[in-house]
Amino acid sequence: MRTVKQVEMQTGRVARLVAAAESMALAWLLLLLLQVLGDAGVCFAGAGVIDEAQTTTRDAAPSYARELQPLLQAKCGRCHGEKDRKAALDLRTSAGIRRGGESGPVISPRRPDESPLYLRVQAGEMPPDPADALSAEQLDLIRRWVAAGAPFDLDDHDSPPAVPSQHDVVPILLRRCAPCHGRNRQESMLDLRSKPSMLRGGKSGPAIVPGNPDASLLIQRVVAGEMPPHERLVEVSVKPIEPLEIETLRQWIAAGAPEVTEEVVLEPGDFPEGTDPLVPTAERDFWAFQTPCAAVVPTVSHRERARNPVDAFLLQKQEEVGLKLSPDSERSVLLRRASFDLTGLPPEPDDVESFLSDDLPDAFERLLDRLFGSPRFGERWARYWLDAAGYADSEGKREQDLPRPHAWRYRDYVIRSTNADVPFDQFLLQQIAGDELTDYEAASEITPEVYDNLVATGFLRMAPDATWANITGYLPDRIDVIADEVDILGSAVLGLSIKCARCHSHKFDPIPQRDYYRLLAVFRGAYDEYDWLKPDVRAGLGPVSQDIVGGRLLPFVTTAERRAWELRESELTRQLAEAKAAGAPADRIRDLESSRQAEPMIQALWDRGDPTTTYIYRRGDPLNPGRMVRPGVPSVLTGWTAPYEVRSPWPAARATGRRLAFARWLTDPQHPLTARVQVNQIWKHHFGSGLVRSLGNFGRAGTPPTHPELLDWLAREFIERGWNRKRIHRHMLTGSVYRQSSAVDEQLARVDPQNDRYTRMPMVRLSAEALYDTLHFVAGSLNEERFGPAVDLQAREDGLITPAEQSRARRRLIYVKQLRKKLATHLENFDYPQMNPNCLERRDSLVAPQALYLMNNGTVHELAERFADRIGQIAADDVTRQVEQVYWIAMGRPPVETERVLGREAIEQLAKSWSQSDGAGAETNDPAAHRRALASFCRAILNSAGFLYID
Amino acid sequence: MNDCVPDNGGISGSRRDFFQSVSGGIFGAALASLLSQDVGPVRGLAAESRQVDSPPSLNYLQPRSPPFAARATSIIHLFMNGGPSQMDLFDPKPYLDQHHGEPFFDKIAGEVENPQSAGKVMRSPFKFARHGECGMWVSDAMPQLAGRVDDLALIRSMATTNLTHEPAVYLIQTGKMGPGRPTLGSWVVYGLGSECQDLPGYVVLDDPLGLPVNGVENWHSGFLPPAYQGTRFRSTGSPVLNLRPDVPQPEQVVRAERDLRRRLDDLHRRERPGQPVLDARIASYELAARMQMATSDALDVSQETASTLAMYGIGQAPTDSYGRRCLIARRLVERGVRFVQLYINGQIWDNHTGLATDMKAACDRTDRPIAGLLADLKQRGLFNNTLVVWGGEFGRLPIAQLPADKDERKAGRDHNKNAFCCWMAGAGVRGGVTIGATDELGLAAVENKVTVPDWHATILHLLGLHHDDLFVLENGLKERLTGVTDARVVQELLA
Repeated sequence: MRTVKQVEMQTGRVARLVAAAESMALAWLLLLLLQVLGDAGVCFAGAGVIDEAQTTTRDAAPSYARELQPLLQAKCGRCHGEKDRKAALDLRTSAGIRRGGESGPVISPRRPDESPLYLRVQAGEMPPDPADALSAEQLDLIRRWVAAGAPFDLDDHDSPPAVPSQHDVVPILLRRCAPCHGRNRQESMLDLRSKPSMLRGGKSGPAIVPGNPDASLLIQRVVAGEMPPHERLVEVSVKPIEPLEIETLRQWIAAGAPEVTEEVVLEPGDFPEGTDPLVPTAERDFWAFQTPCAAVVPTVSHRERARNPVDAFLLQKQEEVGLKLSPDSERSVLLRRASFDLTGLPPEPDDVESFLSDDLPDAFERLLDRLFGSPRFGERWARYWLDAAGYADSEGKREQDLPRPHAWRYRDYVIRSTNADVPFDQFLLQQIAGDELTDYEAASEITPEVYDNLVATGFLRMAPDATWANITGYLPDRIDVIADEVDILGSAVLGLSIKCARCHSHKFDPIPQRDYYRLLAVFRGAYDEYDWLKPDVRAGLGPVSQDIVGGRLLPFVTTAERRAWELRESELTRQLAEAKAAGAPADRIRDLESSRQAEPMIQALWDRGDPTTTYIYRRGDPLNPGRMVRPGVPSVLTGWTAPYEVRSPWPAARATGRRLAFARWLTDPQHPLTARVQVNQIWKHHFGSGLVRSLGNFGRAGTPPTHPELLDWLAREFIERGWNRKRIHRHMLTGSVYRQSSAVDEQLARVDPQNDRYTRMPMVRLSAEALYDTLHFVAGSLNEERFGPAVDLQAREDGLITPAEQSRARRRLIYVKQLRKKLATHLENFDYPQMNPNCLERRDSLVAPQALYLMNNGTVHELAERFADRIGQIAADDVTRQVEQVYWIAMGRPPVETERVLGREAIEQLAKSWSQSDGAGAETNDPAAHRRALASFCRAILNSAGFLYID
Repeated sequence: MNDCVPDNGGISGSRRDFFQSVSGGIFGAALASLLSQDVGPVRGLAAESRQVDSPPSLNYLQPRSPPFAARATSIIHLFMNGGPSQMDLFDPKPYLDQHHGEPFFDKIAGEVENPQSAGKVMRSPFKFARHGECGMWVSDAMPQLAGRVDDLALIRSMATTNLTHEPAVYLIQTGKMGPGRPTLGSWVVYGLGSECQDLPGYVVLDDPLGLPVNGVENWHSGFLPPAYQGTRFRSTGSPVLNLRPDVPQPEQVVRAERDLRRRLDDLHRRERPGQPVLDARIASYELAARMQMATSDALDVSQETASTLAMYGIGQAPTDSYGRRCLIARRLVERGVRFVQLYINGQIWDNHTGLATDMKAACDRTDRPIAGLLADLKQRGLFNNTLVVWGGEFGRLPIAQLPADKDERKAGRDHNKNAFCCWMAGAGVRGGVTIGATDELGLAAVENKVTVPDWHATILHLLGLHHDDLFVLENGLKERLTGVTDARVVQELLA
């Protein structure tokens, strides 16, 4: 551990270094950085950080002005210069080199092997273009210069020593002190978040005496080791204050606690239009950053196959290689496909008959109308959005896997909105900023609309989260939760891997690290790691917590629901009082008590106002704060519309309106990504692969669209026709492309092996949900009650996890609890994803445990028996009719002749086997054996490829 | 180092594209050499190089040769979840004896999970001695292992980044401190496939007494296909979930039903040429049937001699349970299973209290079985191709942690992320070496520090894989076990 004296020596030395830096505050950030590095074991003592005495007279040192500067300008200046400043690094000026980039200093004087500037070049990583490669001599020049102490033989470091400002001190106080002396809790009435509040002080007087650190209570208490109190740190998830942090506090007070008034920001708006040095103009030209234009529907040769514009776009690409759309599928295939696709269930036998006998030309369109109008549509299509949002009924991460008992309201909101076809722009507005759409606190009545707005914000509460516990609730843990939310938003809505810019500027897309933190500032009113709402706070949960704020629940359910609840509860209270007065037996009292219901709450996200300042975290490290940033949107996604502009959502609102502004920007008709990303996801779920294969990455590292014109045509349709999702579905489904057969012939396999040109429909396996729901559906035991709290799970001793058997069981799988640490075995077997944090595209795997499950699992066995009972009721003991009914119900079609024969024979054979094993000999008319044979037949059908796969 | 690669969007419909988009370019540069084999298809098929009516070939677990010479072809991971105490097992600290009882808490306040129970500097209740020809230090808590130190490469300078079980376990299992990533075993099987086509490539032998922290996430395949997920073999009851029918059927009926299913599938497939997924589905039913046989055989330890059983401590308390798992591990690697992972219930190494008794009990349960496993592997020649890895998720503090009644005799130690020990033995490992060192208290690794990514890189190296080249493309990004960190192979450990 270094002594204070050593630290003073170092800081004195560093002060001389930073004297020349452009901004005083910046220089102090650099100082902090060096201190952090110092802590990490990089010793500066004697490292000679720009010592004037050394810089001027060193013989061996190459000249910066004559040798280094020209070299760096020539080799590095194109990307790390005044105009383009990749990684926030300017290597063309001495000030830029001293300041370093987003990852910190680029030189460690006297230590070339610890200097990124030398190391990156030596490793051949920089410059990236081989044409710029440095010669061995040039590399050696850099090495010698750094080894000599990196002297700047320029006359540019005469400014007075810089001192820390509030921007250096506030982050320290936020991370070490604010939990007890901050916004929500002010022990001893002390708030340490700003200079005025420090001067105001607490019970014991002002916290600081500007100019006199030793007389400042803040310093006295900290130096004495009394604050922050060691033994209570874990209670508030705070790490001890570091000696160098104390030193910074001391120096700031010694200097009179100066406040920098000009802001330490680096915003796109700080530069004239289009000259943001971190986002070069050339990189803005990438297709995905351009507003989609309405493409002209092409003229094609095979006009007879072009039922609509979608077909035309596809045919154009197919005709290029001599292909065209495959012929239409048989009616029964089309029916089964559309039925599973839109409702997640097979067609009802009645629907099969009526559709197959409907000879009118628009029969399929009318079928689609019925399916879109079915309440099952929302249950199927909400699932995709819930995957993208990362829906779960528990927090994950820790053993306890804390439940999220109110999450189901969000699930129901998504299902209802999908059924009602709430315009997608509104759907997004609600989920990103629903709390800023209406003043719910002042509302005299919580209408269903206000309720929806609040429930929708649950979208931003989906990330796995263990911050409810002190030991997993430290700053980095909280920041991880926010990062997951940004990842979800980035991949599901923006189609950008914006998460990459958390620690460094994005390597492929023009997203500087600055823009990541500007985005965090947008969410700051609700997600503030220095003012954290825990996922759950209640007695008995985790170690003793000193936090007084907590919970992410709002009580604003609809006035109707609340009244009903209150009424029920007061009625119960009355009954209880009566029962007690009448001396009712204990179990009667207990029954009444247990029928009480918890207060209805909403798991929500809301802006709490007064957000903490946002600083860039260099290398993603909260101990390494960089410049301050203001809320904003990625610079590369600007210029095509009105700028991101924050307005108070209503007069005198506490909420900042930052997210609302963000949501309005996202849903602007000119936004290049929002509509494209959504129509691409819808396309993928119908056709097996996205027009952009990488659903969550439209950037350079993603895959370019196979049909850019079609993508843009759909996107423009989407935007201009009111963000109506069902309309987009219809565009995709009513054309010839969706009606195609899935058969693969030799030519298709050769010319379009990956189906990149959509020359056939893909054959797909039933999803986990479709399979589960359908097994219950064919057995006649599916409970189609909708909505409400999730069905519980039960675990068998051998590890099998199934929905608990209770009155509400056998509901569709979307209504069963999705616990991160206890997933239903069925879901796990059939590729239900780990929601960590979300999933845009499920795997479609084929593994032996699926076969074992379908063959041996007791529930599947039971469902096969129920299916057989159902068949028995319809077809009595007419074996041919039995076979037919099995096909009508399970396959949505009558059997073909071979199937009919095979089925009949198999049932007879199975009956014989059953009868023999019962010891009854080969007696085939034994009714019990026949019943069992039919069940065996049903089970084989439920295990067959024809049942599990959709043509 | 690049963690992301731009997609090669220009090539479409080729095998190369298929690998990039589906299997995500196993082995990076060595991709081309693999194009003749089938690796982990997920959806769609690479039909280009195959006849439309080709035989089934959707085999995720096809054995694959590593890009460079492997020392080990199988690995047994003895996961000691809970955090075994380094200064009571492998890393003697005379300083603790000299300064026993001195206060130290204030210096490490930020690194203590339970400050309210933190005590003073505490010496080890165990006695250390040098063992074997190499003279490796081992405490008297592990007398059997002490007899095998010449086979061990001990790392004393392991360090991790979180002192809470869940994140630390996630990190050591998956390379990242959170859920959702493929585990080490999944990566290995993804990279190498399996030598055994009747058993899963990655088998987990968990403790009937309970699951470790993070439960089944410890063997999850994350974003890799589920074929690379660990399969639990239970040592009691049905070894694999759904391996046997919940409702048993007469043999004749089972046969008749199977025949029917085959005929249905044949009929279905004949109508649909060019859909290899249908062949693969039939193959997966056949594999399921083979698994039913092979699993029972592999788990049947009654085929072993009495002396072998005794070597593992089977039939004796308290070693029987762990001994069985160790023996089954040997039987599995013998059959070509790539990755076998052994667990012990709950947190037996998490000795917050009762260090002298509880940690000793943990040693008593595992010491003989592990020593027996090493000896047995060696005598059967399996040591030449099997890597054995022992270790937990973090270490423990040099200060005492006191129980509620503050009775120092029942003291334990709290978590420590800055230092812990692990060892490796077997194929490719230099026996008898001690690598790295901690400070005088055993508080932090100071010499030749080995991070968790280093540890991962070293294991992959021993299996012939390079951590930078084993990746999967996820949404355009290259995802690796070692993530974006610079990992190094611990060269000192290699034979």
